[in-house]
Amino acid sequence: MKVLAIAWKDLRSTVRNVPALVMMLVAPLALASLLGFAFGGSESFEIAATKVAVATEDQGSPASPTVAGCMVAGILESPDLKDVLRATRVKDAAATRKAVDDGDAAVAVIVPADFSQVVYGDDPTATAQVELYENPTSEVGGSIVEGVVGQVLADFNGARAAAAGAVAVRSDDGGDPPAAQVAAAAAEAFSHDGGVASVLDIAQRSPKVGKTENEVSVTGAILSGMMVFFMFFGAANVARTILTEDRDGTMPRLFTTPTRHGTIIGGKFVSVFVTVLLQAVVLLIAGRLIFGIDWGRIDAVVLLTLVAAGVAGGLALLIIAFAKTPAQAGAIGSGIYLVLALLGGNFTGTAQTSGTYAVVQKLTPNGWLIQGWDTAMRGGGAVDVRWQVLVPLGFAVAFFFFAVLRMRRRFA
Amino acid sequence: MKLAALVAGKDLRETARDKLSFIFIILMPLAFTAFFGLLFGGGSDVDKLPLALWDADGGEAATQLVAALDESPVVRVVIKEGGEFEQWMADERAAAGLIIPEGYSEAVASGEKAGLTIVATQGASGASTVASEVRSLAGEQVTVELAARAAAQVIWSTRSVPAGELEGVVAETAARARPAVEQALSHPAVSTRVVEAGAAAGQTPSGFVLSSPGMMVNFILFSLMTAGIALIMERQNGTLQRLMTTRLRRWQLIGGKAAGMFLLTFLQQALLIAVAQLLFDVDYLRDPAALLVMMVSLSLVASTLGLLLAAVLKSEQALIATTVLVSMALAAMSGAWFPLEITGQTFQTVGHLLPTAWILDGLRGIVVRGFDVADVLPAFWVSLAWAAGFFVVAVWRFRLSE
Amino acid sequence: MSIVEVQELRKQYDPPKGVLAVDGVSFDIAEGEIFSLLGPNGAGKSTTISMLSCLLKPTGGDAMVGGNSIVHQAQAVKETIGVVPQDIALYPDMSARENLTFWGRMYGLSGDALKKRVEEVLELITLIDRQKDRVDKFSGGMKRRVNIGVALLHKPKVLYLDEPTVGIDPQSRRSILDGILALRAQGMTILYTTHYMAVAQELSDRIGIVDNGKMIALGSHEELVRIVGQQSRVTARVDHYLEGMAERWREVPGVEKVDIEEDEAVLLTDDANEVLPRLFEAAAAAGSRITEINVREPNLEMVFLHLTGRALRE
Repeated sequence: MKVLAIAWKDLRSTVRNVPALVMMLVAPLALASLLGFAFGGSESFEIAATKVAVATEDQGSPASPTVAGCMVAGILESPDLKDVLRATRVKDAAATRKAVDDGDAAVAVIVPADFSQVVYGDDPTATAQVELYENPTSEVGGSIVEGVVGQVLADFNGARAAAAGAVAVRSDDGGDPPAAQVAAAAAEAFSHDGGVASVLDIAQRSPKVGKTENEVSVTGAILSGMMVFFMFFGAANVARTILTEDRDGTMPRLFTTPTRHGTIIGGKFVSVFVTVLLQAVVLLIAGRLIFGIDWGRIDAVVLLTLVAAGVAGGLALLIIAFAKTPAQAGAIGSGIYLVLALLGGNFTGTAQTSGTYAVVQKLTPNGWLIQGWDTAMRGGGAVDVRWQVLVPLGFAVAFFFFAVLRMRRRFA
Repeated sequence: MKLAALVAGKDLRETARDKLSFIFIILMPLAFTAFFGLLFGGGSDVDKLPLALWDADGGEAATQLVAALDESPVVRVVIKEGGEFEQWMADERAAAGLIIPEGYSEAVASGEKAGLTIVATQGASGASTVASEVRSLAGEQVTVELAARAAAQVIWSTRSVPAGELEGVVAETAARARPAVEQALSHPAVSTRVVEAGAAAGQTPSGFVLSSPGMMVNFILFSLMTAGIALIMERQNGTLQRLMTTRLRRWQLIGGKAAGMFLLTFLQQALLIAVAQLLFDVDYLRDPAALLVMMVSLSLVASTLGLLLAAVLKSEQALIATTVLVSMALAAMSGAWFPLEITGQTFQTVGHLLPTAWILDGLRGIVVRGFDVADVLPAFWVSLAWAAGFFVVAVWRFRLSE
Repeated sequence: MSIVEVQELRKQYDPPKGVLAVDGVSFDIAEGEIFSLLGPNGAGKSTTISMLSCLLKPTGGDAMVGGNSIVHQAQAVKETIGVVPQDIALYPDMSARENLTFWGRMYGLSGDALKKRVEEVLELITLIDRQKDRVDKFSGGMKRRVNIGVALLHKPKVLYLDEPTVGIDPQSRRSILDGILALRAQGMTILYTTHYMAVAQELSDRIGIVDNGKMIALGSHEELVRIVGQQSRVTARVDHYLEGMAERWREVPGVEKVDIEEDEAVLLTDDANEVLPRLFEAAAAAGSRITEINVREPNLEMVFLHLTGRALRE
């Protein structure tokens, strides 16, 4: 009962503490809104169209009335791609490069003068290169343009290959048609129905979790990361009162009462856990009501919430156990939380499964928790998140254990 | 000025004596930068991305596709099937998954539309790289068949062939055309050449090269907290007010405080840059003058912002809460966590109103695109304007006592 | 009967070379008595109270409080004592009532008994009207009253007050001292630490004078003052020829001793009221004029000065 009295007192204090409430509730919701807005504020990730400067110096070819370079430019300017590319025709190569250098475009596409001649000519050794002059900090835009241009060029090469193949077998039927004629016809046949895209359909879907294939909403992914991060701060706020009370004299005064030291410190531990658990519940409800986030199945949600509260509480208490003053605890704790968040992917999400980063994420309890939330939001149940619950639980137990050891020595 | 310098010197001395400030401001960012650099530095990330592959077809084309993916320098194939495949993907143990459905090889061989399914978590960067490689290799495979069939169809298009036999002769001819097709495709006439702007100086950006400036900005902003807390403690214990009973004027006090914070953040930057430059080849020193301009810009913004927060906030708790929120919002909106290019247009525009976005662009520009002083000066002016605004408000709102 | 028996209590921080804050202090406090520990800052008063509150473990010695040892039976000791620390130790964002309720729970009270007792204490500290206001909005005096009220919730047998009137206005101090006297009248035993001689003098049945961790004198006010004798000290200045005047004053009946210190004569007498007129007569007869005269009755300040060679307030 005394333990609960202490926890209730601290909870009441927290509710009356405006900076604490800002940190615990307003900050994660505000940042989730901000970042959700960054990514289009909608269900799925949308990126801004990449600005492309296009210059075609293609002189055309006597072998074809079509200027291949204009086809490349035309594809880039296609209305079908307007959501991902915003292409502008520019005078010449120098102007396109300048556009990139000046930051007016992310990528410059430069079609060389001999492009059509190579594409439509019959010299098998002739080559031409389309230059993609890219701003190296614009990785995503660069990849998109490389993909689009690459596909167009692949179709040109395919047409030429069809022509070569036709020339090689032109006498198969016993006839002897002119090579140029069959070559042109084969190239035309290859391109006529749309090239590779007409015979290859690549669909994409999300992984199946349990029996569902839910997509995770943008704001859900962001808020889950923010929630875990700010739960660290929420726990730290309450845990820090151990030091402020020690400094202000109410903790020593508590020790003069018949209440045992263990009960007093235990009460503080319970306050930390209960407060941060309530913080999580409020954020989950707010996420649902304000952003319409579907957090997933109740069993997974409950487990993840409880273990997240344990991790946040345990870590906060461990830091307090070693800090000398409240200011020190605040500063050091904040640094530790920032590092954990950067390593664990709180700001960037779980979708970084490339080798080393995936390993690094797994060294942090929050990395596991974020993965767990991702699985839950995609429809996973308790069984699906078992490791994402058990591993952080191990962290939480270790944090609490060492915090207790240290606190006992300190407040003996 | 001398009095202001004394104030700044005192603050720096106090910070230097506080072991835990040292850990927070200097050691931790250094350790983290070094750790991150070891993981992701030293050139591009050479790890192959894991691709879970479920071949439900087993035919010739499917097997060839699997072989091509196996030889790819981009992906590392892991064969899984059925429920195990789905569980593997659900557990995010691969960057992406590929399902080759039954009937794929037959469709490819007959020129019908062949389908593949990529399984990936939306927004995952590794997934898009893998998907791109799959599309590329599958496209190559399909191109051979399509070109060979096109060649064959053209040959037989003007001949009349008994019903039911056309498909057979086309297939035979396509098979005979295939070597010429493959030969042509192995020496493609047209291709792309990627040139990185600023790569004249020779640096290909690795993940760490691009992320190092963002991390540095993040840490500098976060360390506003310690300097701000110190100021608040001074207000609480009465020493600030006491200073005002001396000859020290208000502007000298505030200026001295700001100068102390400026020097501290400048020192932090210098250390982080030294580690990145010396240990991880992030070429910040490509243009030392431009780098100096950016460092001054960042320190101006950070110190005046820290001063403003400490001037208006009452308690250390309020300062911590506000610093966390402000520094994270600034970091996110400036492109420190993810490139602004992947965000919506409005967000990018708003982000670029912030000085930190300009500073990040400037730092990345120096490292990767060979920016010089002229290129980074606009960032300096923007930073100066913001810093002046912060300073004016800080002076106006500065409270000496509780 | 003694309710507090302190036996050779010692406290050394960071032994063996650390500061010896309390060095073999012994004293008893009878039930219903007000006992003051008087001494300058740093004498060891607060350390002694911390040990008797079971906050600090003694390095040596023991004390029995209500029959329980502070070393071996700390929990039982805490049931019988109430502690009013020197600094306000309350939760500033909670109201007076909330503070008292919380602390009452920590003292083991609950339910209706707790509610009733909180009401009683609020009456006692005359803050019924402000019970719902946050403590951080209170004046210094009001905070002190709540600070004391907390220690009274569980009706302790012994109340420790560690310098409870430091830094407050005379009116509030008066109010607190009257409150303490009222508690004694109800039978409570009180241990009070202070460096104010006048407070110790007014309040206490007995006083222990501590300096540098040692108990240097112990007894009632009258017993302590007797250390420096019952004599009053008269200092006088004359307009000329002090030595001659001092000789004449030695002959005045009632004057026990006359010394010259710098430019004034220092006289000791058992009854200053009787001797003063004779001093004026003697001066007039000698053709001298007394320009300044001062009378000091024996007090604890003089006792401390006598025992240590330093003023209590140094």
